[in-house]
Amino acid sequence: MRDLNEYLNQEVPRLVIERVDANKMKTMAAILRDPYPVHWDRESNAILNLKGRVINQGPLNLSYIANMLIAWQGPSCIKRLQARFLKPVLDEETVVATGKVVEIIKPEIGRVRVQVWLSREDEVVLEGEAEIEISD
Amino acid sequence: MVPVEEILSLKGFKFPGGSKRIEHWENWLLTDCTNSDQLPSNLVHPIALFHIPIQGVDTSISELFKLGKVQGAGSVGLEGYDWEYFLPLCEDIVYRFEGEVIDVERIQTESGGIFDRFVFKIELMNDEDELVARVTNSWRFWRKR
Repeated sequence: MRDLNEYLNQEVPRLVIERVDANKMKTMAAILRDPYPVHWDRESNAILNLKGRVINQGPLNLSYIANMLIAWQGPSCIKRLQARFLKPVLDEETVVATGKVVEIIKPEIGRVRVQVWLSREDEVVLEGEAEIEISD
Repeated sequence: MVPVEEILSLKGFKFPGGSKRIEHWENWLLTDCTNSDQLPSNLVHPIALFHIPIQGVDTSISELFKLGKVQGAGSVGLEGYDWEYFLPLCEDIVYRFEGEVIDVERIQTESGGIFDRFVFKIELMNDEDELVARVTNSWRFWRKR
């Protein structure tokens, strides 16, 4: 394993989701057994001034962060995910998952803390922290 | 509006609990929804910690909405998650689930909105009683926007 200090302040390679897909929201709603109509009924969102749009599930927004981390350090690297949801993400939008190593937590097992966020243009829609075990 | 005493009384509510196996088809579809390639070695996508614990304690998103007395677009919001992974989560293994509502609080926003913060914690154990994962989820049940 590389010296963990080499990771401090390193940016995790970004993951770009070019187009948030409304069809995946429908499948997700079925898997989750989620009755909340904002994810699949475009008409229901008129009350939120979002008529004709659907809102991506929070777990899907967080999954883009998870996928970025997995692409970086492997499928079992995530040991903790903490997230705060700030803004809804809508169908057809482009979002970017980003992360930066901010702390070495447990050097003996290669664990670091990564600040993570998901953004739409210049607006952060989700932010949080992840604990990651470095494998390379 | 739901009386504050009624909603605060949910603190300490224990979910029935139970066990659940994460099947391959479910993990496959879930992973596909995230735009990811399938993970190796029957690993479950980490995002499964949203719905699997809820279903594992023998409740559902619908039941949680009923518990919080919310319905319709705009009535619910996610506040935050804290998910801890102690052991790999794999397909076709039966996990045991226990959980409860650990905090409820009525909040008034600066703009005059009112919501109830609803926080619940669920733990996943394997057949050797090892803690596999723990989720702490905070939702907002909106009473006045």
